[in-house]
Amino acid sequence: MSEYIVEMRNITKRFPGIVANDDITIQIKKGEIYALLGENGAGKSTLMSMLFGMYEPDEGEIWIRGEKVNIDSPNFATKLNIGMVHQHFKLVENYTIAENIILGIEPIKKYLGLFSHVDLKGATENIARLSRKYGLEVDPSKKIEDINVSMQQRVEILKMLYREAEILIFDEPTAVLTPQEIDFLLEIIEELKRGGKTIILITHKLEEIKRIAHRCAILRKGQLVDVLDVKNTATREMANLMVGREVSFKTEKKGACFQDVVLEVRNLSIKNNDDFDVVKDVSFKVHGGEVFAIAGVSGNGQVEIADAIAGLTDIFQGEVLLNGKDISNYSIRKRTVEGISYIPEDRQTYGLILDFSLAENLALKEYYKEPFNHNGLLNRNVINEYGEGLIHKYDIRSSQGIKTQVRQMSGGNQQKAIIGREIELKSSLMIFVQPTRGLDIGAIENIQRMIIEERDKGKAILLISLELDEIMNIADTIGVIYNGEIQKIASADALTTNEVGEFMMGVTA
Amino acid sequence: MREVKVVEKDKKNHFTGFVLKLLGNEKWQFLTIPIFLIALSFVVASVIILILGKNPLMAFFNLMQGAGIMPKPSYAGYKSILTDFLTLLNFMTPMIFASLAVAVALKGGLFNIGVSGQMLLGGYLATVLVGYSGLNAFVAKPLVLIIGILGGAMLGGVVGFLKHKFNINEVVSSIMFNYIIQYVLSFFIHTKYIDPVSRQSKYINSAARLTLVNVERFGLKMDLPLGFIMAIVLSIGIKLFLDKSRVGFEIKAVGANPKGARYAGINVGKTMITTMALSGAFAGIAGATYYLGYFASIQPRVLPSMGFDAIAVALLGNNNPYGILASSFIISIIEKGSTYMSSIAGVRQEIASVITGLILLFSATNVYIQHKIRTTKEKYKYNMGKELEE
Repeated sequence: MSEYIVEMRNITKRFPGIVANDDITIQIKKGEIYALLGENGAGKSTLMSMLFGMYEPDEGEIWIRGEKVNIDSPNFATKLNIGMVHQHFKLVENYTIAENIILGIEPIKKYLGLFSHVDLKGATENIARLSRKYGLEVDPSKKIEDINVSMQQRVEILKMLYREAEILIFDEPTAVLTPQEIDFLLEIIEELKRGGKTIILITHKLEEIKRIAHRCAILRKGQLVDVLDVKNTATREMANLMVGREVSFKTEKKGACFQDVVLEVRNLSIKNNDDFDVVKDVSFKVHGGEVFAIAGVSGNGQVEIADAIAGLTDIFQGEVLLNGKDISNYSIRKRTVEGISYIPEDRQTYGLILDFSLAENLALKEYYKEPFNHNGLLNRNVINEYGEGLIHKYDIRSSQGIKTQVRQMSGGNQQKAIIGREIELKSSLMIFVQPTRGLDIGAIENIQRMIIEERDKGKAILLISLELDEIMNIADTIGVIYNGEIQKIASADALTTNEVGEFMMGVTA
Repeated sequence: MREVKVVEKDKKNHFTGFVLKLLGNEKWQFLTIPIFLIALSFVVASVIILILGKNPLMAFFNLMQGAGIMPKPSYAGYKSILTDFLTLLNFMTPMIFASLAVAVALKGGLFNIGVSGQMLLGGYLATVLVGYSGLNAFVAKPLVLIIGILGGAMLGGVVGFLKHKFNINEVVSSIMFNYIIQYVLSFFIHTKYIDPVSRQSKYINSAARLTLVNVERFGLKMDLPLGFIMAIVLSIGIKLFLDKSRVGFEIKAVGANPKGARYAGINVGKTMITTMALSGAFAGIAGATYYLGYFASIQPRVLPSMGFDAIAVALLGNNNPYGILASSFIISIIEKGSTYMSSIAGVRQEIASVITGLILLFSATNVYIQHKIRTTKEKYKYNMGKELEE
């Protein structure tokens, strides 16, 4: 028995036009929390996909518990007690938690020794026992569509545990969670470690690594840069190694210079499909040259406000004025033309058409205009040239340039493509919803800098973010929303992080 | 013992290598895999024919003879391989249009299972409005097409409208419309246009017919399907339209991601109606060339099965208009040659439908085969590399 439970030796994996992993060797001890740190596209997920059998390495060997293995499918990985929680959950929405967990390995019982049926009752008991053991509270009879993201993640963890996984891989587990939920998840991970599990954590959030990981491997552009003992390493050093240069945690910005009001929202109320008031009587103004941030815990109506301004959601009451013009009844395209750029929260479902090429996606909001569209025919040359220009200007990286199918691109580059496209619209109002979600430090820094640049050009910026740090970092004015109502609007200088946090929880001063 | 194993492994490797050489080139997979799958369906069909105690190779040869691809040993007066082939094209013409109808809808993310109903409506309207009128050929023939297009497009558009306005699934409403059209029209045919002898609608005037029948040339009597040339032209046209036009871009965007398309400012509802109307228009031309070309009358209470076969043809053609030209050719041969096959080889005509069914079944595995080949290729390379090292 070797000292290491997982060894990946000299792993190389190539994709068309790119070396995703270049001769990487990592060794993981049993019972440790091992972090993989790197920017988007550094090759973390690829490396772990090979351990979980979704890809096979071009070169190199994988050893599990001192034995050489050829993991050719996730099923085989499961047999080796390897489990993975993917960044995008793989759950059946209209099945219950228990049904999702047993899916594929349903325990079978027989009535009268003859008629086989799924032993849901036994499974539910098993799941309840497991969830108690690791402090993962879930109600196994609830349906996935009725529970929140954090609970869904717990279901994914239970799914692994139910399959008796010993080596647990977490792919960016905190990307979709709120600060409180992150705390809770990190506790769960610690608990799992105490239970003797080996944890591999893919992330680019340094605080998390600092808090729970023992060792940390840093990947950059497909190569292993270093393996560090977390305890003895400063956060800044890890960040520098990851990005390959000095990073600043504080975005440089000049004082704001407010101009005319660009966006005015008056007494806005929005109902959701269940006729429930998600936004109640919200009013605020955003000036040119101002970053107005809406802070709040996820699901308190902030995304609905953005959707209503952009025209994706119906307004129940109230009005939206852009440069003094009431646009409440305009179509989505007319609002875009009037001067709204919108970087949506869900970039894969709304922001992009994943099966289309990068060039087509970059022209997605302008394809119908001259010179892209001439007499009803699209001019591919113009579209391609425009795409090339944006790729260069916004440093959008992909394997085959403008022809790349957007689905094949990394999350960070997808986001760069959207932001580039929206900035090029040269709108007077730019709405950013969670612009840096799931991105690495380098990209975050870059995007925040771009937001400030746009502000300095005199654009009105509406920023909606769950990251309080981000809001404190770049906002000029902060509006805090709780339960669909704006609790407080104040200049960013007049508020401390703690105060904003309290308003977010609905504690009215 | 060990040696045997090595030989077996070698054989297996050779075989994998051969298959990979055949199907591995991704640039040609759009062609090689469908051909491979069609071949596979013929192999399975052979087994079935063998079980029936007949010679499958003869049966397939008879199929081609019947369709005018291979010469028959003897022909009746005024007939030859050419007349058989023209009959094949005559049958293939509406098939191409119907399949294009399915393909256009699928590009826009919609499943038009109502092609049959749209064909029937287009064909019926053209028959009663122009087919029995005394208009001369130069007016009547274009008019037939226009009415067919309008009838089909209207019905398709309604299906799209219902989906947009009331969120009624297009599959459900199309199937309902199929029934409504089928029975309402058969009521009118029975009460007004019936031929008491044939129990079908009366024959239309030849001026309105889209196929020139019994044209005497080279000592033969031929059927010339005028719509065939149009089918080729429109296949190219619709391909260019989808690839190059603004509306085509919007149709594909809505098909690929309706939420994303809406966000981008595309009017999703309008695009869906356009897509269904366009699809219906193609179905309408299919109806015109079917009822006023291939046939010259309408059989009441029967939906054209071609509208459903078209789904298979479109899938086999990978939803690509050029692919559809090829796949309708193949399916038409099987359908058209079946009569001759049953009379000569004694293989029942229904076997032709079995072959068509098998082709559809296998062509549905296209994506799986692509995936399988990709993974096998990687593994094969890996193994080969290791062996070289050893």
